Amino acid sequence: MAARINYLTQANASVAIGATYEGRDPALLERMLPLVDYIEVTLETISEVNDHEISLSNEIMSELKNIGKAAQIIVHGVSLSIGSHEGWSPTYLRLLDDFLEQVDVAWHSEHLAYTKVDGEHLGIMLAMPKTNEALDMVCERVSAIQERYKLPFLLENIVHVIPDFPSDYSDAGFLNALTNRTGCGLILDVYNLECDAHNHRFDIPAFLSELQPANVRELHVACGIEHNGFLLDVHSQLTRSSTVELAQQVVQQSARNAQVVVYEFMPEAVPGLGHNAIAEELGRLRAAFRN
Amino acid sequence: MDLAAHQRKLLGLFRTSYQVCADDDPYIHRVAHSKDLEEGRRNILLWRIYVLERTCVLTVTLLRRRNLLEETLSSFITQNNISPFRETQAPAFLEALTGHRDRLIASVAQFELALMKVRQGDPCSYVVLWNVEPSTILNSLARNIPLEDEVPEGAYQILISRDIPGQFQIFAATCG
Repeated sequence: MAARINYLTQANASVAIGATYEGRDPALLERMLPLVDYIEVTLETISEVNDHEISLSNEIMSELKNIGKAAQIIVHGVSLSIGSHEGWSPTYLRLLDDFLEQVDVAWHSEHLAYTKVDGEHLGIMLAMPKTNEALDMVCERVSAIQERYKLPFLLENIVHVIPDFPSDYSDAGFLNALTNRTGCGLILDVYNLECDAHNHRFDIPAFLSELQPANVRELHVACGIEHNGFLLDVHSQLTRSSTVELAQQVVQQSARNAQVVVYEFMPEAVPGLGHNAIAEELGRLRAAFRN
Repeated sequence: MDLAAHQRKLLGLFRTSYQVCADDDPYIHRVAHSKDLEEGRRNILLWRIYVLERTCVLTVTLLRRRNLLEETLSSFITQNNISPFRETQAPAFLEALTGHRDRLIASVAQFELALMKVRQGDPCSYVVLWNVEPSTILNSLARNIPLEDEVPEGAYQILISRDIPGQFQIFAATCG
């Protein structure tokens, strides 16, 4: 337990705390609400099939509306596929339109990635090649989303699943160019950085020193499992102390505009983790980041 | 770089449907022979297992007991366009197993799929045929306890309907 307690030195800046909630677990929501300022919602998980069409679950939408002022809602998508050569997912945008008509959100976000090719789903997110061609394409799409929703839009760094394509930009350089051209915000997923460092010797200090931190609005912490020496990006565990310490370091040293640290866990992990452990985790994060 | 061709080749590598050619970019060769690709596929499998073991408990438990879960799911992943919408994943997986060569797996998948449908409000009634006594099997799978005795063989059927208390009823099939 000592290792878990070590990171509890508070960050200098006060940052809000958020957590994933995917609906149909009111007891969990009740435990989390006193501990969080933001609830992160993933539209793909709160949707259901009605008359052969994907739509938002009315039951879960009622739960989210009832949150009221207890926490702000942020939407975090997984299937927009902003980097697909053939275009993004119209289904996702239809759901987002519907969601935003019913619930006030602070901002919305997606992953800087593609999840489908010619309509075929990969089952995983892949990073875009960091070329000028890809940058032009994503910037155009980000601008279109900003124009459509008039809300802050954030993109997240994803895990490098496969080796990087030889590119025109470094990871940080690509994010800098993207934010400079569009004004979009960034989510820095700290656990993803750790996965990349573990799996691909990714140089986190070099990345952080090159990244323009002003646009980092949100940080993510999570934890998965190790398999065959690879750290896998499955959100099934409580965070490791190293992840929280890195997030603290980012907040203290660079990302001073960061507003929230979100603890992400998949709904399927909840029975194994337990409501108590999740609440304790959020309490630890609150102690670490809230002054 | 042609972004479309790049993405199509990577999709093919993940689906194991693309064979690298001599004139492919060295990058595609590198990915194809990387341990990362194997682990990426593993990641896809794990995400699906996490979802399905919660949403198709009976079928996943049976596949685990038969040591067929990973093989069956890997095959399903490579052959199907799996939606990112979680709610669609379990029905699609169960549907794919309804014609499984192992009759018990087929029966359990058909039963679980029908039960899922009626619990979501489907007004239809479904009948699933079994060649072993179902209640012992279902109890064992639902509670994840081993089968203590030989399960009696015989012709049975389960009627699944939202109009039945508990949504299903087991019958010994009668001849003639």
